[in-house]
Amino acid sequence: MTDRLFKWEKENEKDVPGEERSSRKPDMSVEIGRIGLKNPLVACSGTFSHGEEHSNFYDISVLGAVTTKSYSLKPRKGNPPPRICETPAGMLNSIGLQNDGIDVFIKSHLAQMKKDGAGIILSIFGKDSEEFKKVALRILDVKADIIAVELNLSCPNVEKDGTSFCAFPEEVKKVVDAVVSMLDIPVIAKLSPNHDNIIQSAEAAKQAGAEAISLINTAVGMAVDVETYRPLLGNITGGLSGPAIKPIALAKTYILARENILPVIGMGGIFDYRDVLEFMIAGASAVGLGTVNLIEYDAGEKILLDLEDYLVKKNINNIRHFTGRIRI
Amino acid sequence: MKILNSEILSNERYGPDIYKMEIFAPHIVKNVGAGQFVNIRCCSPDKRDPLLRRPFSVFDVEKKFNVFSILYRVRGKGTRYMSELKKGDTVNMAGPLGKPVEPVSLKGNLLLIGGGMGIAPLNLISRIAADEGKKVSVLAGFKDSSLLMWERDLMRMGVKYRMFSEDGSWGQQGLVCDHILDEPKVLRDHDIFCCGPVEMLKVLQRELEREDIRATAILEEKMGCGIGVCNGCVVKVKKKDGIDYLRVCREGPAFELSEVIFD
Ligand SMILES: Cc1cc2nc3c(=O)[nH]c(=O)nc-3n(C[C@H](O)[C@H](O)[C@H](O)COP(=O)(O)OP(=O)(O)OC[C@H]3O[C@@H](n4cnc5c(N)ncnc54)[C@H](O)[C@@H]3O)c2cc1C
Ligand SMILES: Cc1cc2nc3c(=O)[nH]c(=O)nc-3n(C[C@H](O)[C@H](O)[C@H](O)COP(=O)(O)O)c2cc1C
Ligand code: FES
Repeated sequence: MTDRLFKWEKENEKDVPGEERSSRKPDMSVEIGRIGLKNPLVACSGTFSHGEEHSNFYDISVLGAVTTKSYSLKPRKGNPPPRICETPAGMLNSIGLQNDGIDVFIKSHLAQMKKDGAGIILSIFGKDSEEFKKVALRILDVKADIIAVELNLSCPNVEKDGTSFCAFPEEVKKVVDAVVSMLDIPVIAKLSPNHDNIIQSAEAAKQAGAEAISLINTAVGMAVDVETYRPLLGNITGGLSGPAIKPIALAKTYILARENILPVIGMGGIFDYRDVLEFMIAGASAVGLGTVNLIEYDAGEKILLDLEDYLVKKNINNIRHFTGRIRI
Repeated sequence: MKILNSEILSNERYGPDIYKMEIFAPHIVKNVGAGQFVNIRCCSPDKRDPLLRRPFSVFDVEKKFNVFSILYRVRGKGTRYMSELKKGDTVNMAGPLGKPVEPVSLKGNLLLIGGGMGIAPLNLISRIAADEGKKVSVLAGFKDSSLLMWERDLMRMGVKYRMFSEDGSWGQQGLVCDHILDEPKVLRDHDIFCCGPVEMLKVLQRELEREDIRATAILEEKMGCGIGVCNGCVVKVKKKDGIDYLRVCREGPAFELSEVIFD
């Protein structure tokens, strides 16, 4: 296992004159398969809406990309409230993929997103591979406007007790296949920490033609009101996010990235530039900013500036230098 | 909306476990509308506990001094931290957030019905309406007299009020809801705004519906972001084609009382 990792590290060294002394602005661009991003920071699905609100706080076109909330074929009302519960160093949510449906996104939100100028990753969701295919069909006409489609195979809030597609690698394969056969733009499969098969799921996604894996979606969690004996979320269980899940997310990133199956977009509890570096060192090619967007509305810009400063300070002129550099 | 690091001008006890914080913030004062709130980070800048921001209604504004205030009760970690802040400290907050309450009214008269800390947003509505020369009446109910200081604020605004307390220590003993229909005719020529515990709003909804009287309710729900991106703060609302979940921080916090479904 370590062998493979070191091989990968050597490849990186070949491409990237990382430690060369230089006072130039560092090269922040990354490549995730066919997806080129100007920097590794991607806003996570469901925590950034379409970016319109965050545009009040900074120019969101500085981000590597923005992932939309997950869209389904038909509008979804989502789960009953309460949908949010704070926990130590994290939060539980049970939104349940509330969205207006893919058609409304294309008609009403895409134009504004294009204007805001960040690369668009369109997150989609379906109840089975057929439905995913139908959503993909709707995207055909606007595929030139988006840089990739992310398949949400991992939302813990729609099936009973947090089960999701990626519990079953053969389902992952079917869904990815269905979408890849419709769309000739890069497809990212988003996986969950809740099932013990990320490697098999990633293999399945690769075989079906996925370009990258993003992980992790939220971890199934729960909280109870001791006074009333009731769960604190309307949906009983929810998804845990924020700093509380960072160690889990890092481990999943490491475990998957060292297999060198597909490039990994790592996410889970990233709140500052050092968190970004941790994920990249553990093997991520790019990273997702999620819960931090709910609290620090200008986090994307701030983390980017901090990263650039750090690279300059360390005389590292290429952010790709970090990916997979973990020393074991 | 903007993120601001604003200076606290005072943070004084208003009642047992209740504080009023005055904050210098021209941006808020200039832009705030009735019903809007600010979302405050309740820990020092180098900490992340509590993680989420805490929402607080704008209680009052003093345009001349570019100062606004919030009135808050200490409930947990976040509000405890706030209560320990001193004059000269700064708070990190975003605002103003939420949709301002629709410009009222054809009727010209306002009736505000409050319960407990629910008086916070009503106070700003009252201030704005009184400044516009509208006639404002307040009916409010409390457990005890811990918000007694509010009476002074209302007197200064020249607002008519009637108070109720469960323990009889302030105003009339009893529940405010039991007296809403004392004068149904009066209700009809007022625009009604209410804010308070869900139990109170449920009773109000029932009572007002019986008389076919409309009211606007200002609601609270646990929030993730406060800016409309997470869909976390929804309330269930009746719509023509069934039910819908609307965001308190975006479509709200003001909703038509008769449309809200309190499960
Ligand atoms: C739009 C909006 C406007 C608000 N305006 C005001 C205001 O003007 N003044 C004010 O004092 N509070 C207001 N609140 C409530 C305030 O945000 C909470 O009291 C605060 O978040 C509690 O934080 P904490 O960390 O101190 O308590 P936590 O540690 O989060 O909670 C401590 C205890 O208080 C309970 N609690 C938490 N939030 C609420 C709530 N919203 N209602 C009832 N119980 C709660 C919790 O269930 C828990 O038992 C408002 C809430 C919303 C959504
Ligand atoms: C409020 C909320 C809503 C989310 N909605 C979605 C969603 O619609 N689709 C999805 O793939 N992930 C969704 N996620 C998961 C995030 O994209 C991300 O994978 C996860 O929160 C871990 O990152 P974080 O700890 O930085 O938030 C959501 C997360 C939160 C907190
Ligand atoms: S709190 Fe996030 S949408 Fe209202």
